[in-house]
Amino acid sequence: MNAGPYSDEKFQKYIEEEFIPLKSQCFWDKRTELMKHFDIVWTPTLLIHDSEGKEHYRIVGYVPTDDLLAHLKFGKGKLFFNRHHYAEAISQFKAVIEQHPDAGVTPEAIFFLGVAEYFKTHDAKALRRVYDTLTSRYPQSEWARRSQPYSQIPLEEPARSAAK
Amino acid sequence: MGEIKWERDFNIAVDKAKKTKKPIYHDFWFDG
Repeated sequence: MNAGPYSDEKFQKYIEEEFIPLKSQCFWDKRTELMKHFDIVWTPTLLIHDSEGKEHYRIVGYVPTDDLLAHLKFGKGKLFFNRHHYAEAISQFKAVIEQHPDAGVTPEAIFFLGVAEYFKTHDAKALRRVYDTLTSRYPQSEWARRSQPYSQIPLEEPARSAAK
Repeated sequence: MGEIKWERDFNIAVDKAKKTKKPIYHDFWFDG
């Protein structure tokens, strides 16, 4: 993936500011130790590792620039989410939703934004808002269907019973 | 137009990630 996103100045700036960029060449007739370790079966395979080298996110196959930027922000969000750093995860998921509304990963970002907000606040209404947002903005997405169980969560607090 | 300054060694990338607190973006590529 030498052309496409890597020749885009906006992408270059983002990747150098937010990540340590690393390239590993693949050889199919003599698989490298890194290929074996990370089970690389197709190229490009793009991984996001934390600062210990642990994999948190994987993209397989060519991705156009805007979609890739959205994936990287989402992947950073998943890294924070996996470490229970919900405020930072929420910030990354919101960046995907606001800056890349047409990207393929955006419905998933809406889903995990709601889950991260739920973990941060313990308010189940965050999950109901996931369902409402996905069914209104991305009704054909798999993530809209996967949010269906949250449709029964009330957005309003139940009315208090009359005083006895 | 500039170019991305790629690290080529995984262990050095991990060391840099520890020092900078940045995650690693790792591109497995094939020249073919």
